[in-house]
Amino acid sequence: MTFADAHRGGVPRAGGGPSTRALAKATALAFVGAMIVLVTVVLPAEYGVDPLGTGRALGLSALSAVAAVAPVPPPQGDTLAPTQIGQVALYPGEYKFDAREIVLGPYEYAEFKYHLEKGATMLFSWTASGDLMHDFHGDPDGAPSSAAESYDRQPRRRADGSFIAPFSGIHGWFWENPGAGTITIRLTTAGFYTSAHQFRYDGTRQSRAVRALETIAPATEQEHSQ
Amino acid sequence: MTRLAIITTVATLLLGLGSAFAHDKFRIIGTIVRYEKSTLAVRNREGKTLSVRVDKQTAINRDNKKVDATELKAGQSVVVDAYGDTEDDSLAIEIRLVPPIAAR
Repeated sequence: MTFADAHRGGVPRAGGGPSTRALAKATALAFVGAMIVLVTVVLPAEYGVDPLGTGRALGLSALSAVAAVAPVPPPQGDTLAPTQIGQVALYPGEYKFDAREIVLGPYEYAEFKYHLEKGATMLFSWTASGDLMHDFHGDPDGAPSSAAESYDRQPRRRADGSFIAPFSGIHGWFWENPGAGTITIRLTTAGFYTSAHQFRYDGTRQSRAVRALETIAPATEQEHSQ
Repeated sequence: MTRLAIITTVATLLLGLGSAFAHDKFRIIGTIVRYEKSTLAVRNREGKTLSVRVDKQTAINRDNKKVDATELKAGQSVVVDAYGDTEDDSLAIEIRLVPPIAAR
């Protein structure tokens, strides 16, 4: 008998191996068995698909059920101070944002500052239409003005950055127009601040409103698809 | 009696110190109206005339160079940095003589 004969006829091959028919039968039986296990056990347990009711009968359906996990409450507190969890800082409230245009006449100066708790974050971008003197600094709560700490006094016409408050207090920028022209400063910020304050060269101090997130109009579906 | 005098003196000094810390910094930008009896009257860009005291400690500069108080003449544009309780009750720390400043 040739190998081809054995392959066609189901006669045991030389050497005692299983015949093709036996192999086919075993494969079919294994496939049927696998299908039974799939339908009665795997589908109910893994995907919650239980066409025969075996998953419920065997208690396997519970395995596919999504466990209801109680949500972790956000940090609580009266101040917008961060709670550090690994690389993430969580706050007991939303961040705010603000956009300003400050015009400095000849030789005028102004300060614009936000109140942040220690460790709170602020993002900022500002540009000036002319050369000016600049000091990004902070004043600790309840301390005299001599306790102010300067963060950046390099001459700049724009700055884009992030800032983490080293102490609780007001933090922001002093800009001075050193010349006889007029300079316009455009400032945009977002961060976990609670209030904003503007100080002018004539000694006046004014509180400025900061904006809540709910004032941002969400993008529409049409905008998303463009 | 001596003890009472010491307490009174210290209390007065402390009150004076507190008052000094309470002072604010002002900048007055405008044109000299007059300078007499150590008082400089400046009309600011809003048209309001403010008076500021000038003493021997007041630095008077033009182009970063010290000049005499006789340079404080009517019509001269100035930038005055001062300390005081109000903008109209202050002592000049520095007076800069600057080129003419346009009114608002």
